[in-house]
Amino acid sequence: MKLAIKLLLIVVLGFTSTVILAAASDKAAQDAIAAADQARKKAASVKGEWRDTGKIIKQAEQTRKKGDFDKAIKLANKAERQGKYGYEQAMSQQTLKMPSYLKY
Amino acid sequence: MKKILVKTKIQKLTACLLLAGMAFTAVSSVFASPEQDRKSIIEYFETRFVGIPLSEYANGVYAYDTVGRESWEAIEEFPPYEIAIEKGQTMWETPFANGKTYKDCFPDGPAFADQYPRWDKKQAKVVTLPLAINQCREANGEKPLKYKKGSINDILAYIAYESRGKKTHVVIPEGEPGALAAYEDGKKFFFTRRGQLNFSCATCHIQNAGNRIRSDNLSPALGHTTHFPVYRSKWGAVGTLHRRFTGCNKQVRAKPFKAQGEEYRNLEYFLTYLSNGLELNGPGSRK
Ligand code: HEC
Repeated sequence: MKLAIKLLLIVVLGFTSTVILAAASDKAAQDAIAAADQARKKAASVKGEWRDTGKIIKQAEQTRKKGDFDKAIKLANKAERQGKYGYEQAMSQQTLKMPSYLKY
Repeated sequence: MKKILVKTKIQKLTACLLLAGMAFTAVSSVFASPEQDRKSIIEYFETRFVGIPLSEYANGVYAYDTVGRESWEAIEEFPPYEIAIEKGQTMWETPFANGKTYKDCFPDGPAFADQYPRWDKKQAKVVTLPLAINQCREANGEKPLKYKKGSINDILAYIAYESRGKKTHVVIPEGEPGALAAYEDGKKFFFTRRGQLNFSCATCHIQNAGNRIRSDNLSPALGHTTHFPVYRSKWGAVGTLHRRFTGCNKQVRAKPFKAQGEEYRNLEYFLTYLSNGLELNGPGSRK
């Protein structure tokens, strides 16, 4: 008897925690995608957006809708990194420096 | 001329170029005048490709790609852009719905490609030939044409053909700070590394001109604008300069800008200025 109840408890707990985890993941995926889009826009604001960032964000969104939150987060994080790099790349060149192979 | 080996993966080339890039350190942020820029770039190419006369740069990469030049000359005997010129002539001569023609907008036409790109004081911006064409159309109640593909290339091809033999002479009017600022903006664009591959236009078309990237010999920035619009075998059609800019931005995995947006118009202003004195020989054909 006792064992059966324990087992039942474990199953129930396991089930609810999966539900809670899954719910958290969807929220986490949404947050990650929002952060990625913000990073993309920030890069674009200094003309530093990369070619594929927007596409990766779209992929992340589609993946999220299919319920694969882990993959969606991975994609979103990749896009966010691209946004950050694109922004930094543009900012590091705010003042034009002529290459030394050109002589003046 | 150092050669970079053809590698199948662009990443490998990136690594090579990045290493090459590190070998020099960027210097001199001092202001240089447009004439100083142009002279400096000419001097660079004269040193890099000894013995090639300046006028040859109007032929783009074929100034030094002797192998590619043979097939190019063969193609030019039966030019693939001929139909575009014919269609463009019809466009030029066919009145708009209101009875006016392009000639009413451009009294010096059709041989007037040398007047563009130019600084327009009233509009306070760089006006390119494709933009001027669409402004003319809209002023006459016609729909604007698309800027990369399609029939804009026909009218451009006809105007380019009629303008052959004229010389590039982009003017940056004195006492027009906006014009100089537009030029400087285009110059900055040209030297700014962008995209996942971290290349600037200059990385490929100045620093690595004459080196191979995949199957392409990289063309010199000098002479880049003389022959547009251009028939490209890869496109199977005649395309605009801004279509080419788009492709080159995408190649380095940067998000391209809008055709005829401010970025590309200013870039065109700078890039065309470099070719001042070179003969207009459009439309052209390229791989
Ligand atoms: C990764 C190297 C690379 C970069 C960076 C690059 N291009 Fe190109 N570009 C090419 C290749 C390859 C071609 C085709 C072969 C050729 O003409 O050089 C080309 C062709 C062109 C042409 C046509 C030349 C002709 O004769 O018709 C123009 C104009 C041009 N590029 C402009 C630019 C501009 C402006 C930029 C910066 C926005 C740029 N390119 C950046 C590789 C590059």
